[in-house]
Amino acid sequence: MWTETWLFTKRSLLTTIRNPFSFIPNLLISVFFLLVYTSGLSSVASLPQFEGSDYLNFILPVSIVSGAVGGAGGTGQALVRDIESGYFARLLLTPATRTAIVLGPMIAGMLQLFVQTLLIFSVAFLLGLTIPVGAPGFFFTVLLAIGFGLGFAGYSVGVALKTRNAQAAQAGTLLFFPLIFLSTTFVPKELIEAEWLKVAATFNPTTYIFEGMRAVLTQPEIDWGALSAGLAVAGTMSLIMIVFAATNARGALKQK
Amino acid sequence: MIEVESLVKTYGEVAAVDEVSFSVREGEIFAFLGPNGAGKSTTVQMLTTLVRPTAGRAEVNGFDVVKQEKDVRLSIGVALQETGIDKVLTGRELLVLQGRLFKMSKEEAEKRAEELLAIVSLTEAADRRSGTYSGGMRRRLDLALTLVHRPTVLFLDEPTTGLDPASRIEIWNEVRRLNQEFGTTIFLTTQYLEEADELADRIAIINHGKIVSEGTADELKRLVGGETIAMAFQDATDAKRAAERFGHEAEGTNVSFELKQYTLMDVIRSLDEAGLQPERLTVKQPSLDDVFLKVTGESYEGGEIRVD
Repeated sequence: MWTETWLFTKRSLLTTIRNPFSFIPNLLISVFFLLVYTSGLSSVASLPQFEGSDYLNFILPVSIVSGAVGGAGGTGQALVRDIESGYFARLLLTPATRTAIVLGPMIAGMLQLFVQTLLIFSVAFLLGLTIPVGAPGFFFTVLLAIGFGLGFAGYSVGVALKTRNAQAAQAGTLLFFPLIFLSTTFVPKELIEAEWLKVAATFNPTTYIFEGMRAVLTQPEIDWGALSAGLAVAGTMSLIMIVFAATNARGALKQK
Repeated sequence: MIEVESLVKTYGEVAAVDEVSFSVREGEIFAFLGPNGAGKSTTVQMLTTLVRPTAGRAEVNGFDVVKQEKDVRLSIGVALQETGIDKVLTGRELLVLQGRLFKMSKEEAEKRAEELLAIVSLTEAADRRSGTYSGGMRRRLDLALTLVHRPTVLFLDEPTTGLDPASRIEIWNEVRRLNQEFGTTIFLTTQYLEEADELADRIAIINHGKIVSEGTADELKRLVGGETIAMAFQDATDAKRAAERFGHEAEGTNVSFELKQYTLMDVIRSLDEAGLQPERLTVKQPSLDDVFLKVTGESYEGGEIRVD
């Protein structure tokens, strides 16, 4: 199964590279977010709840995560293209397992997000980013980003297989955009005033990804509790979504 | 090679395939002939493990299509109605990937790709993205993809639908060659009567999810009777005289009847003796069109193709 998964991953990467417009706009938007948020909101970081950290460090996860959501949507769309071209049916007819067939594009999506995250980081470094805890901060943020990305790619693949419709696959990921903002997106939880938003942020898995990243980016020392919670959420999400995608693989050829 | 017993597939209330049973022997070309929506593709999808049957049983190469789907997939080649090609990849890349998915080593897969590209005459286009190929080239690549792992049974779902006559004949020749040179058993579906007639050793006519008739093209045609002769004369009196010699009646200046006990020579000699000279004389073989009308009571509304 691992050989197959690797073959599918390679093929998906090749397809992505040959369709540059499937990832360039999304990358530009993430960088744009980073620039706008940092220059527009950076003075809020002087509030005591930020504990002296730089707003750039605080907002960087938002740029990374929203980039991941947009990028993962592309994974689902690529799959819809395969279903429409009939290539997906051909893959189902090989002895390859269903899991490998959906895992390949998901991993390719994850690698795409990995590169994207590195690029966003480079822009952040150009803007003067410094990470108090050093290299581990960088490493864990990237790890959380690709974990979350894998889960999200799985979600978009699952939706694509269920709907077999590119627009629906895209809409499915758009539905997730509010999740990014019903969270500790712009300010720490202590600063959220509306009670309902606090509740939403508590149940929102994205919150734990943000907190996990901030645990290694904003503090002078790593907050291991928040980091493990983030990693656990990313891991669980990925697993659930892989299963969701794989169980939908067979249904994808049902007649409309 | 293929054994099918009371296979059923229902979608909601509708039975797309309704208690279908048949068997295909080794080395045979077997055609499923029927109009759009008759249940042909659904049958192929069940036999190739893409869709689970609602009821019934089917074996391909001795493997159960539900319980041993992996073994079935390893032993069959399938070309579905829509060509299954990723347009961004080149012909060669697609073939090598296909080989690797069928457990070949990289070198083996590359060698096999080269071979197949030559077989379907795509060597020159091998390193171009398949999106740039013409319809006929895409079908040929699709066919090559189904052959990568040297399957003993080949499923072709409407292999020539939407092709121009020249490409159609290319595909026909390819199918025949696979059958004759490699002894590949072929199950094909078609809505073209001529295609079934031209290619298949045996034909099953399917309509509204049920097999309504099965046999060789000749056997099926015999169901509707033998050859008919049609003659046209200059005037009605001649026509009448000619018809009477064979115990039939004329319709105006035209005479036509089933040949039955007469041969064409008998008819011509008899006309000659009587000094009768038809302006036009044709002998017509019964077509599968007539068969379809006879066994279903409906006139055939499948595709029409002209091959000159």
